Amino acid sequence: MSARLLPVPDQASAPYWQACAEHVLKLPCCSRCNEFTLPPDVTCPSCHSLEPEFTWQPVTGRGKVRTWTVIRQSFLGGFKVPFVLVDVQLDDQPQVRMIGQLLDGPEAPLSIGDAVAVAFDDLAPGVAVPAFRKAENA
Amino acid sequence: MSGLFLARNQVAVVGYAHSQVVRRSTEPLGLTALRTARAAIADAGLVPSQIDGFASSSLMPTSGDHAAQDGISVVSSDWLAQHLGTEPKYVVGFQGIGQLTGSLTLAVNALASGAADYVLLHRALYSPPGKYNDSSLTQARGGQQWSAPQGFFGALPGIALVYNEYCQRYGATREAMAHVVVEARKNGARLPWGYWYDKPLSFDDYMAEPLINDPMSRLDCDIPVHGVGVFILTRADRAKDMPNKPVFISGYANAYPSHNRISLHWTLDDMMEAGRAQAARLWEKSGFTPDQIDLPQVYDAFSPYVYIWLESLGFCPEGEAHRFVMDGNIDSDRPGSLAVVSGGGALGNGRLHGVPQLLECYLQLSGRAEARQRDATTALFSYSAPNFGGAFVLTNDAS
Repeated sequence: MSARLLPVPDQASAPYWQACAEHVLKLPCCSRCNEFTLPPDVTCPSCHSLEPEFTWQPVTGRGKVRTWTVIRQSFLGGFKVPFVLVDVQLDDQPQVRMIGQLLDGPEAPLSIGDAVAVAFDDLAPGVAVPAFRKAENA
Repeated sequence: MSGLFLARNQVAVVGYAHSQVVRRSTEPLGLTALRTARAAIADAGLVPSQIDGFASSSLMPTSGDHAAQDGISVVSSDWLAQHLGTEPKYVVGFQGIGQLTGSLTLAVNALASGAADYVLLHRALYSPPGKYNDSSLTQARGGQQWSAPQGFFGALPGIALVYNEYCQRYGATREAMAHVVVEARKNGARLPWGYWYDKPLSFDDYMAEPLINDPMSRLDCDIPVHGVGVFILTRADRAKDMPNKPVFISGYANAYPSHNRISLHWTLDDMMEAGRAQAARLWEKSGFTPDQIDLPQVYDAFSPYVYIWLESLGFCPEGEAHRFVMDGNIDSDRPGSLAVVSGGGALGNGRLHGVPQLLECYLQLSGRAEARQRDATTALFSYSAPNFGGAFVLTNDAS
């Protein structure tokens, strides 16, 4: 089996991937309105500032499952199927949604609104991709 | 700007042609497009030199390892105009996800403004050799770095997430969706040019199909095909002297993504929010209401789109589309039904990106549907998802 593909950091994303490597989730935060956004944008999608001067702020990475799918056939090489992708609404700012693998696997019971917390999948030395694990429902 | 579309019923579809739809072809797509374009021009009673406008969108919708080459695997309006040997005044291509509704918008506006007198609209789809979406990517750059490393790749998981949210929220089942897919294939099986001609699908076969991205199975997706649809449009004053009964454009609405999300991360709420806003514009611009539409044709490249469009256009309450289809309300053989895939849709024709929907509106309203002819005065077709695509209202009664 081929290796999983790796993200290639660029000018806009380097702080994100650097933080992930340290198992910290950081999101770009607009200096004008203090709203988070993902992925990084040229302007602030919330207040439309042309000079958002985003800073990368650590977030809790806790959230609620909005929906999920079990991937039984992958178009990309390197993935062991089946695996679960969850669409997560972050508690830090509910408008921000992330998609990641649920590391608990396809057998774990899952319902809309279930609590999850960010976890990290170490793919290569210095490269980790955000994923999620089930957490205690609040 | 509010109120009716200023060019309401001033532009008409006056002819068409459709290629045979095949799974793959060794013929360059440009050649198929040229043959179909010439047939459509003749169908409208015209000759190529009279076509002075061209509109299209040439995107090949795959995430796999396939290079696009104009005239071979995609066909732009530039390529088509050049190879037809015409000297057009107006050649335009739409860039965006709502390809057919976007390019039809450009065609209608060109005619309404007088930028062209006869516009040829085409959509040409190619089916590459090998697996359609398989990718040998080893690195994820640009927009893909936010999705591909975790295995979120291609359109299928995106719609699977939306569909599962719908199922979880409203209690929709696979049995309900079987009614959509079986209906589309039943209607597609009646179209001699379609890929699924004479190949209807049984309820049991649908239910037995394994899931690939839960709750989506292969049968919930249209099959990639090689095929071309061409439509000829002109202004209503010219249309009245042409050979076919004209079908007038009453109005349209288009939508664009309104939230910053990672690529292909659609959400059910984004779709419905955009869909409600788009529907409001459509009814305002076209001067029609949902209960006045005899024949809606909703986009169905992924089966859940049928629910999304039925609800966002107001043909049934939000969260009710799965019960609406289970109750037989979209059955094209049931009198008084809302036969939203009577033209087979994408599920019953192949991946032709909205052509089956527009074609069915045209055939039925121009009285050219032969054995399948229905009694309809107003029709609607939608394309893509409402947060990317668009919708048109058409009528054969411009009075």
